[in-house]
Amino acid sequence: MVTTILQSILSVLSALVIGLFFMGLFRIIMARIHWRYGPPLVQPVIDIIKLFFQRSVSHGIMFDLGLILSLAGSMVIILFMPFGNGCWCPLSGSGGLLVILYIMLLMPFGIALSGGAGGNPNVSIGISRKLILSLGYEVPFLLIVLAVMTRYKSISLVEIVRYQQDLQWGLFSWPLCLPGIAYFLILPAMLGIRPFDVASAPQEISSGPMAEYGGKYLAFVHIEHAFGLSITIALFVNLFLGGADNILFLFIKMLVVFVLGLFVHAVFPRFRVEQAIKYLWKWPTALAFVGLVVTLLVK
Amino acid sequence: MDRNQITKWLKSPAKMANKYSLHVIYFCTGCGIIEIPPVITAKWDAERFGVIPVATPRQANLFLIAGYVSLKTLKAIIRTYEQMPEPKYTVSFGSCPINGGMYWDSYNTIKHLDKFIPVDGWIAGCMPRPEAIFVGITHLWTLIDKEMADGYIRYRKNYAAYRRNQEMLFSNLGWPPLYSIDDEPEGGSQEAGVGK
Repeated sequence: MVTTILQSILSVLSALVIGLFFMGLFRIIMARIHWRYGPPLVQPVIDIIKLFFQRSVSHGIMFDLGLILSLAGSMVIILFMPFGNGCWCPLSGSGGLLVILYIMLLMPFGIALSGGAGGNPNVSIGISRKLILSLGYEVPFLLIVLAVMTRYKSISLVEIVRYQQDLQWGLFSWPLCLPGIAYFLILPAMLGIRPFDVASAPQEISSGPMAEYGGKYLAFVHIEHAFGLSITIALFVNLFLGGADNILFLFIKMLVVFVLGLFVHAVFPRFRVEQAIKYLWKWPTALAFVGLVVTLLVK
Repeated sequence: MDRNQITKWLKSPAKMANKYSLHVIYFCTGCGIIEIPPVITAKWDAERFGVIPVATPRQANLFLIAGYVSLKTLKAIIRTYEQMPEPKYTVSFGSCPINGGMYWDSYNTIKHLDKFIPVDGWIAGCMPRPEAIFVGITHLWTLIDKEMADGYIRYRKNYAAYRRNQEMLFSNLGWPPLYSIDDEPEGGSQEAGVGK
């Protein structure tokens, strides 16, 4: 019991630290690509400290609760996510991938509920774009997860990781490489980075769903963003890159995936919403579907 | 972040974090808009000081006013300033917001910005070079350290006078007072400089 609680706290904390590190690294690497010096690595932490000391404005009870719902949803997913095989996955025995699939919807919905209470037209546009985008990437994402679950005949992430460590990494085994590539193609959409940053486009709609957040609220949004980064990339590593024995190897694998995603972010301009949907429902969905069919036939 | 600043961080984290994380909302008109893009992009990289542009006043704590302020845009400036969360700082950039500059005898621009919102720092020049923004920001750090960047406290204290000045220009401001305007402190009207 005590170890479970300790593991829960540790896994949430480590996900937060990894996410904040990625946010800092994001800004530094983007600066170097722009031929700039860039901020210090701890800049997101400084921002969050500052935001917690600011006076903030609330827009009603839904504004507070939606944000808490989103934050709690992302924390719960981390409890189901193996951070290093066997050591830090406090709730690995129950649920597995299916629970993660369900709770992952809470993150955009919580922000949507909360931002909607702000009554800002930019927030409404941002939320509609965010939900349309999540409609776009949920279809290939479900097909990908279905293919993985069919291949390994298991819904438990811990077992999927163990199979991969015994046999071969998912990304390099035959039928699963197609869903793996598809997951990498939808990764920018799930992270909300370019070319899929339609939802939080600061130049078009004043940073969209975040337009009404200030002070502590914005700090919580930043923390939720850090959790989101950790979750999405850790899921990719666990599903296709064989997970890891401990958190250090997991972190290195996540770092490689994240930096590759960053290069995509640095090079591409922003899609419009309908272009994003067209892309997401074409190539990743086709790859994931073919992967699913081949997985079913090979079995 | 320097290593020898750790004691400062432990002593007053709020002050230090405010110093090194200035999220700026820019108000630019005329030649002011020319000077801002080099500051935030590759040439003079403001991000290494923790200064990044944000899109909405709710996320900002530094308001940079670059260029002349016309009567119409002053209303937007006041609204933006009142929406920013405290502690908030204002820096005006160029001589136009200081004393009218080359628009001194224009019928449609205001001469003294600090009659309508409090201003913590001035950067003089027509136009100042982008480096002046960094000099201004390091001065603002000193002011925050000595707790002299107290524009938002002055605004709360002398709100009645500021509001009166604002209503002198606009007969109908269109939004209720931010703070109560009944209890005006002694000498408040002189500090805020009533009259044009």
